Amino acid sequence: MFEWSEEQLMVQEAMRRFIEAEVVPNIDDLEHNGVPPFDIIRKMYATFGMDQMARDRFKKQLERKISGQEESAEERAERAGDGGAAAMTLIPIIELCRYCPGIVTSMGVSVGLAAGTIMKQGTPAQMERWGLDLLTAEKVGSWAITEPNSGSDALGGMTTTARRDGDGYILNGNKTWITNGPYADTIVLYAKLDDGSDTPIRNRQVLTFILEKGMEGLEQSKPFRKMGLNSSPTGELFLTDVRVGPEHLLGETEDERSGSGRDSAKGNFVTERAGLAAMSLGLIEQCLQLSIQYAKDRVLWGTPIGDFQLIQLKLAKMEVARLNVQNLVFRHIEMSAAGKSLSLAEASAMKLYSAQAASEVAMEAVQLMGGNGYTADYRVEQLARDAKVYQIYAGTDEIQITHIAKDLLRR
Amino acid sequence: MNVAVCVKQIPDPAAPPALDPGTKNLVRDGKLILDDSDAYGVEMALQLAEAAGGGEVTLVSMAPNGETSGLRTALAMGAAKAILVSDPALAGCDALGTAKVLAAALKRAEPDLILAATESSDGYTGTTPVQVAELMGLPSVTFAKKVSTEGGTVKVERQTEAGYDEVVSPLPAVVTVTAGVVEPRYPSFKGIMAAKSKPVETLTVADLGLDAASVGSAGARQEITNVAEAEARAAGEIVVDEGEGHLKVIEFLEQLKVI
Repeated sequence: MFEWSEEQLMVQEAMRRFIEAEVVPNIDDLEHNGVPPFDIIRKMYATFGMDQMARDRFKKQLERKISGQEESAEERAERAGDGGAAAMTLIPIIELCRYCPGIVTSMGVSVGLAAGTIMKQGTPAQMERWGLDLLTAEKVGSWAITEPNSGSDALGGMTTTARRDGDGYILNGNKTWITNGPYADTIVLYAKLDDGSDTPIRNRQVLTFILEKGMEGLEQSKPFRKMGLNSSPTGELFLTDVRVGPEHLLGETEDERSGSGRDSAKGNFVTERAGLAAMSLGLIEQCLQLSIQYAKDRVLWGTPIGDFQLIQLKLAKMEVARLNVQNLVFRHIEMSAAGKSLSLAEASAMKLYSAQAASEVAMEAVQLMGGNGYTADYRVEQLARDAKVYQIYAGTDEIQITHIAKDLLRR
Repeated sequence: MNVAVCVKQIPDPAAPPALDPGTKNLVRDGKLILDDSDAYGVEMALQLAEAAGGGEVTLVSMAPNGETSGLRTALAMGAAKAILVSDPALAGCDALGTAKVLAAALKRAEPDLILAATESSDGYTGTTPVQVAELMGLPSVTFAKKVSTEGGTVKVERQTEAGYDEVVSPLPAVVTVTAGVVEPRYPSFKGIMAAKSKPVETLTVADLGLDAASVGSAGARQEITNVAEAEARAAGEIVVDEGEGHLKVIEFLEQLKVI
């Protein structure tokens, strides 16, 4: 594919209208006044029938889980093919990221990571109890892996523990940088099994739990003050002797053959990293569009600044980045349609390049606009602050590099 | 209840418009979009069919080059099917010629009610719907700000300068709706995907049994003789308020005879 199809353009157009009407008038509240994005996400789901689509998809997934059948090739193609994953998932992501990448982060963590993990590894009862409401955006989900002393070393450095207690567990620890943490109704949380053995904590088994807001001993912090991405609330979780029954253990088994906590966490990396390229594309497209307009409108020494070659260089580099990132996104869509998956190296390379490109383009857009670019009215300063996190979350640039290299050297 | 909606596909108003230097008509060669003013009629039709407990919404349109992009938007909103009349012989059609074509196409749809916008956003003649009604021998009610149907009648609140008139008309009828009549829905993603497989019947002038000489530039009784730039707006007057600004405003409004 080298351009969006007619149907995909219709989705894009509908999303743009929705964003103009529902997001743009509320940007200041979302970015500066601490208003969480969940009502807008719910409205978007209801407006475009995404909630009903999620219910229909849930029903099929549940039936497959109960019968133990794999998704057929036709079903996968229908779900992921042209107009499927591309139009339904990536286009809204791209369009929202022109204005509010935080909304996408919040939505992605709730629907993609939290619900996705439950749907993949949960029992049918867990899927019904916690998965569906997250998929329809009725409830808010978090995915809690990172801890204060274990950012990039999330699994090894994890110290949150789960101690067996009767047929249940007692959880203790502290999680941080948790997207939606302050508001989450449902939390997918990773913890090390404390079985009383001498195994060093680094090497202990990782278990995955589903927690609920209001559980005794679970405290959800207020949102952090961050450099950017303020439309996505981020916070800490504190667990003090949180007692959970066995139905809260994802998959209701410690048996690693049904999918370990480590696999569960890593399984999300590819999807998350590919999604970040789409987020970058939206942000880059918007910065480029605003920069072009500014270069035409801003007159200095009697001429539009677009006539100056140093400005032209910035625009040209932005366009190169836009084309490259768009090609990566289109390639991912084509591969999904063909039922193929990205390797970890490919997904990491895609994320590394896109995140750096987004950050660079946004900062250059600020530079191109000079003092105006530094003010909030011209919008690019917010996008520049937001873009920086692309290089940090979902695996830092440095982690992407090591993942790419390790994957290549393993071959 | 089956409702037909006359919809126009127009050049994207966001793109710079171009006039054909020879005919002085708007160039319509590129991609066309659903006229925003028609989205209200489509929404009203969908709501009326739904309220009546069933029936279909059919779109009727005339456009060059078999263009369906605008129709797909309305189909994605929920219309069931479309009739498109597209024929090189229709180039240069005036409002009456368009009405002849639409009336002939509408007869095939056999609707209980026909809706249209009060006027299009590119031509602004505002005459086509009533001409359609006349040609079809149907009553017409214009400027509807509220529409409901009951039994064999349509009840309309018709916007006037002073307020509104309550009008009841037997069906079938032609009703033109204003922009405020309803809030057009967004097409759902599922609706967008379904739109590509909904039927669009493309017809020519001959298919409708019309004489080619009575439509298009051949049958047009209207000729655009000249096109001129609109006069630039004059600069306004700035009054510095030194305590008596309100008197200046009153004086200005009195000059305009609005107070």
